[in-house]
Order: sequence, then C-alpha cells, then structure tokens
Amino acid sequence: MPKEIPVEPAAALARAKVTFSDIPVCDYDEPIAEERERRGDANLREILRHMLLVREFETMLASYKSTGAYRGIEFAYKGPAHLSIGQEGAAVGAALALSPDDHIFGSHRSHGEFIAKGLSAIATLDETALDAIMDEHQHGALRDTVKAHLGGDGKVLAENFLLLGVLAEIFMRANGFNGGMGGSMHAFFPPFGAYPNNALVSGSSAIATGAALYKKLADKPGIAVANIGDGATGCGVTWEAMNFAAMAQYDTLWSDPRGGRPPVLFFCNNNFYGMGGQTSGETMGWERLSRLGAGVNPEQMHAETVDGTNPLAVADAVARKRELLLEGKGPALLDVQCYRSTGHSTTDANAYRSRDELKAWAEHDPIVKFAATLTAAGVMSEAEVDAMRESVGDTIGAVTRAAVDPAIAPIVDVPNDPTLIGDLMFNHEAIDLPEAEVPVLKPPAQVANFKSIGRKARFGLDDEGRPLSGMRAITLRDGLTEAVLHHMLHDESLIAYGEDVREWGGAYGVYRGLSDIFPHQRLFNAPISEAAIVSTAVGYAMEGGRALVELMYTDFLGRAGDEVFNQMAKWQGMSAGQLKVPVVLRLSVGSKYGAQHSQDWSAFVTHVPGLKVVYPATPYDAKGLLASALSSNDPVVFFESQRIYDQVEVFRAEGVPSEYFRIPLGQPDIKRLGNDVTVLTIGPSLYPAMAAAEELATQGIETEVIDARTLVPFDYDPVLSSVKKTGHLVVVTEAAERGSFAMTLSANVARFGFSDLKAPPRVLGSPNWIVPGAEMESTFFPQAHDIVDLVTTEFFPARRANRRGVRSWDDIDLARRAL
Amino acid sequence: MTSILVPQLGNEITEAEVTEWLVGEGDEVKEGDLVVVITTTKMAMEIEAPASGKLTKLSAEEGDLVEVGAVLGEIG
Repeated sequence: MPKEIPVEPAAALARAKVTFSDIPVCDYDEPIAEERERRGDANLREILRHMLLVREFETMLASYKSTGAYRGIEFAYKGPAHLSIGQEGAAVGAALALSPDDHIFGSHRSHGEFIAKGLSAIATLDETALDAIMDEHQHGALRDTVKAHLGGDGKVLAENFLLLGVLAEIFMRANGFNGGMGGSMHAFFPPFGAYPNNALVSGSSAIATGAALYKKLADKPGIAVANIGDGATGCGVTWEAMNFAAMAQYDTLWSDPRGGRPPVLFFCNNNFYGMGGQTSGETMGWERLSRLGAGVNPEQMHAETVDGTNPLAVADAVARKRELLLEGKGPALLDVQCYRSTGHSTTDANAYRSRDELKAWAEHDPIVKFAATLTAAGVMSEAEVDAMRESVGDTIGAVTRAAVDPAIAPIVDVPNDPTLIGDLMFNHEAIDLPEAEVPVLKPPAQVANFKSIGRKARFGLDDEGRPLSGMRAITLRDGLTEAVLHHMLHDESLIAYGEDVREWGGAYGVYRGLSDIFPHQRLFNAPISEAAIVSTAVGYAMEGGRALVELMYTDFLGRAGDEVFNQMAKWQGMSAGQLKVPVVLRLSVGSKYGAQHSQDWSAFVTHVPGLKVVYPATPYDAKGLLASALSSNDPVVFFESQRIYDQVEVFRAEGVPSEYFRIPLGQPDIKRLGNDVTVLTIGPSLYPAMAAAEELATQGIETEVIDARTLVPFDYDPVLSSVKKTGHLVVVTEAAERGSFAMTLSANVARFGFSDLKAPPRVLGSPNWIVPGAEMESTFFPQAHDIVDLVTTEFFPARRANRRGVRSWDDIDLARRAL
Repeated sequence: MTSILVPQLGNEITEAEVTEWLVGEGDEVKEGDLVVVITTTKMAMEIEAPASGKLTKLSAEEGDLVEVGAVLGEIG
C-alpha cells in the first residue's frame, strides 16, 4: 500500500515558520513539606539510605583501585571502576519513579543506576515475589550463599542478594549475576528491571529503543530507559535512536492495538564531561543538552533539564515523563545534571578541571544536600544520619568480605573447563513454529508476487538440461521470500525492517508482495540508520521478540560496526547465556557498483566471536538456511549475493520444495563429485567453480566442488574427506584474499589434511585492492578461467596449459607493495 | 494506432510477467494513465498509456510472460 501519505507541494512550499516551545531548566520547586506529605518520612529516609549505599559501594571500589584494601579487607581488583560518585541523586531519583516493569539499560558508569534500581525494585516487590526471583536465579544458589554468609530475612536478604550478586559480578566471580562474564561495565539483573549496561558510549540508546518497541508491540507494561551520558550526544547512534523512537509512522501508518510510540526515556546523566572533553562549551554546540529534543520531533521529546543533585527533582521529572511514555507520547529526553566528583576512571588525574570547580560542586553533593534537607525539616536527626552512614558501611563491609572470599564467591574455573566461556556464547536452540497463521491484510494466494511464484517451475533446468529464466523457475530470491513469508505467517513475535523494505520490497525485491500481507508494525521502512536498525533489533530480541533486519549493502556494515560486532555478537556471552538474541541480519553483497558497493565483508563478521554466519548460493540452500536462521535463538548474519538473486535451482533435480523446510547450519554441501582436485567455494563463487569443473573435465581433471554454505559453524569433515581423495584444495571467495575466511579454511585444511595434500592448499579470492567498476569486475572477482589457470599451472604443471586470466602476479612481491 | 510495449527493464532482464491489467478492452484511456502492471524477477512496474484513445486490443493476459519489446495492447 504505497503512496498513503502524499507530499503536497502547496503545503510544502507555503510560507510559514517552524516554532519551538520553551524547554524548562531546573523547574522543580516542591516544598519539602509537600514531599513529606506525599511520600512519607520513612520513604524519604530510604532515599538517603539508597544514595549512601551507592556511595559506599563505589567508595569501596575506589579504595581497592587506589590502595588494594577497604576496611582492612585486602584484595587485588584487576577490572575497571568507572565511578559515579557525586551522581547518586540522578540514579536514586530515577529509580524512585520507576517500577520493576520499567527496564533500564546503562552505560560503563552504571553501578549506581543498577544498585538504585535493584533497591527500588526490592522496596516495591512483595516478599513472595522477591523469594520467587531469588529462588529462580541460579536455582537459589546465590540466595543460599547470601543466607549462609550475610544472613537477613525478607527485604534485608534481598538487598544482600543484590549487593553480593553485583559485587561478585564486578569481581568476575562465578556466582556474580552474569556468571562473571559481564563484569563492572556490564552487570545486570533483569528480574529487577536492570538490563545490560554497555561499555560503548551510547551503546544502550538504540537497544533501549528496541526494548521499548517490544513493550509497545507485545503490549508489555513499563517503559525502557536509555541511561546515557552527555558525551553520548556526540555519537551518531544516539541521534539515530532518538529519531527511530520518534518516527511519524507509529502514528500515521501503524495499526497495532496499543498504538502510540515506543515508551523510551533518554536519560542523560549530564556530568559535563565526556571523559575529559567538556561537552557544554567545548565539544558540543548545544549549550544546554535538553535543546536536542527540539530537533527531533514537534513534541521536542518533552525535553527538560533537571537538577540531578536533588533526587526528588529527578524522581518528579522521571515520573512525569513516564506518564507521557505510557500514553504512547514518547520518546522523552531528560538532561539530568549531576556532577561527577571523582575521576572518569581511577587513573584520571583531573587535568581537565580546576580545584575551584570541584570545590564549588562539593557543596552540591547530593548526599550532603539531601541529608541537610532532611535534618532541617526534622525528618531525621544528624545522629540518625550518622548511624545510617555507619550501618551502610557495615553492610558494604560484610558484602565485600564475602565477595573477596573464593569459598563464597568462587573464581570462574576456566582451567577445569577451557571452552566454558565460548560455550556460553551460543544456545544452539531452534524454535518450533505454531501451525496456526497470524491474521493478515490479504492472503498470500491473492498477492501478485506469490501468484507469480506459484506458477513457476520448482527446478531450474528444462527437459534438455537448459536453465530456465528467473521468470519461469524459482530463483534464489524466491527461496528467501518463501522462508520469510512462512516465518512471518507463523511467528507473530517476528518483525522485519530495514531500508525500503515495504513498497519497494527491499532494494532487491526479496520482500516483494509482503507489504500487501503484513501491516506496518510487522514490516516497516526504517530510516537510513544502520546502527539503529541493528541495535533496536538487539533490544527487541533481548526482551523476548525476534527480529529480521537488513542492511541494503554489506558495505554499509561500517555504519553499524559497533552494533553488529559489540552488541548483536556479545550479549549472549556477556550474560553467561541468560539472554537470547534471536536476530537475523541480512547483508546483501553488491555487484557492479564499484569500490563502496560491491564488497564481500564476510571476513569481518566471521572474525568476531558470537555470530553465526551463513552464505548460501542456491535457491534450495537459501530457503532452507534462512528458515534455520529465522528459527535460531542465536544471532545470525546472513549474506546474500546480488549477482545471484535471479539464479534458478540447477543442482537439486527434485527442485526447491514449496513446503517449509530447514537445512541445519554448519554443513558444507558437495555440489559435484571428482577425484583430482577439491574446490571449496564461499557464496556465489560456486558458479565459476562449476564452470571451471566442466572445463577441467574436458582436460581429464575431475573436480569435486564443495559449497561451504555456512561459515560459522563449519564442519571440516566433508572437506578433509574430499582432500584425502583428491590431494588438492582451492578455496574460492569473492572477499579480498588477505585475512579472508578462505584463508582460515585453507590453513585448517593444511593442518588437518597435511598428510593427504600433494601441494599446498590455495586461496583464490579477490586481489587486495578496491573493487573496480562493472567493466573491470571480471579481472577482479575470481572467474572460471582463473580457477582453471590455478589448477592447471600449480597442481598439474606437467600439462603446460596457457594462462588466460590476469593473475600472473607474485603474491610475495604484492605483499611488499602493501597489496 | 499506438502499441503499449514492454519497456527495457534493465541490462539483463529479457522478460516480465503481466501481473494486472488496470483497464479493460474497450476502455477509454488518456495518455499517462496507468494501464498495466508488469513484474520482473526483482520489481513490479506500472506502465502508462503512451497515447489517448480506446484500448482496442489486449495482447497479453494476466500471468503471461512477455519479452522486452513485446506488444501488450493497442490504443486506437
């Protein structure tokens, strides 16, 4: 359904003004008497206690980093400590306004937010709910440890559980909340609404937006909060995420029952420095961070600047934004000013700020100010404040004593299980699809593209063995389309998005017809925001959904580098397997478009641990492997070559089944049998290899062609068996040779098949220079004659064949020339 | 008499499918009206009437495969 929103020239060109409304700055002005009335004195005292707990916890970490001891407890803490001392008002104030159903996503500096959120959740949840949470986590093991060594009942036990769970995690111990795999910068505990903290600046902005999208579409309670810093406003992904959360289409085109926009709050802990660069006045132009809201949407993201030194001001602002978000009026932006009184990290010498400035802000220390407010108002006496401080110190002391003791918080036993960390990265699970189909706008049988596919032959060769055109037989594109259609029809939690995927059907038509079947909330056009496309999918999946996203060209992977390599790839491992990230990322490898639109970057993706990587070359494999990818509970990157979208099925005489089927990931497939040489291909290299095999056969050389199909995981057995027979291996790839996955394959076959090899294995890839334009491509990507040249000149030199390709260069010499 | 032709659809595309006729034989059309949707392996394309007049003949039916340059219909 294209063209729903006409672009009217009269409206676009009429004289007018873009107007803005005022953005409040430090507007909170509630008398303490009112707050006492509203919240009760006991709760006000709890706010102080929570701030003191956060402060003491981080003071303990600071003490370890600087002196190796705290309260006489010695310990060598080797990890990082990005402390938020001075920012407790923001963390505790925000947590006060959030419920356990509200999910916070943090930064590298989020110990305080995590502890504050946990304390707030413990205060809110009843004891039965807390018992259930502690009972479920590690089958009650952490709770039992806490009970035995720290004691306490009810909420006291839960607080000790929270503190030991996070400190053991920071100390990378096996019974930390994330099995020691997260550590200081990543600790989280979803049952309290504390979702992953992220070591990448602004890493959480788009993840939280995706989480909010899931809350909207699955109609789950609560909001998502992206806890980012002022420095994050310089990052592209922050802007991408804010826009993604504010897209007009939620109001104009989507028809999900809940309606509205994703409930996400961008909570900027503005401590005035991005490490050492001063945001207001030096590195940014906004002067006031809250100004940014005005650039995003007409509601200006309901932006405000808040006094983050006062937890009550923060709680008031967060509560008001939360109401708006739950009404679907998001996103919201809070600029929460909270000065960091200690260094960025413990190696910070404070060279970038003056002593006078530090002193001036010391007077605005949130704990000092709030304690003074409470004592002045008569909520508690100074003696009571001192007693509270002492009690908090004792609590943190006891938790610390437990956390440093390996008998209580055991060290992760890698020597005993050397692949333990690796095994936590993948769950290797596949979902079952329900029989029933979800409601659709129009049945596929009535949609032109599916009528057209229905008329096509399922096998791509005619009776005389000649290939049919892509209009007459199922193509690789159609195979992909059928797998996507089936999953979209049977899995309502699956959403698909990317650039131009709806009316256009994706730039290469893989989704053609799907916009007639699925409403916008299942399939939508994303902004040109590659980073947000990938990271929102990660957040959506973390919360329980499934996402199929795409980048129009693999070359755009750089625009989503952090999101693919650090977010999509890492969260299963960093959560010790507690989180599942079922995201399929389709990457289309270009052709004919030159240096920035035609690169096979499979090497980058296979290099990064944590991703499964697929690259099919036939319609049958494409359909079956995409079905497996979409069923997988692990993150999968799925490469497709634009050169072969129109390829018909020429290998499988039974054709591509019209029914749904899956091909397990990790199995290379023998596409042609032969005894003299093994050619292992990646992606579209299969076709020149098949043509080369035909030609070599005329010279009496029989080629075994093996299609890798999947790169991670990969089963070497069929390749090693083949090499045992042939004694020769060529790995063909369209990726640049240097550092390619083909080099990994070749190295491993050299190692494990050494005794069977009659000559060194060879990699035939693209040369290590830019992809030239279409006219020169045949000199660049490996062609059939290049494979024939290599096999005849290097493996069978006695035949004295003439070389036809241009690859007569000396690789050693090229390496010297940086090529 | 003006023919409605299958246009050149890209370097490597030689045929397309007639997906949907938006007008019927005997209808009056104006130059620029959308008359037929054709589909290649990659995309669907709306074909405009090359002239005004009466659609006198439909040469291809929905579901037919047609070559680039083939006549889809005639406007009299």
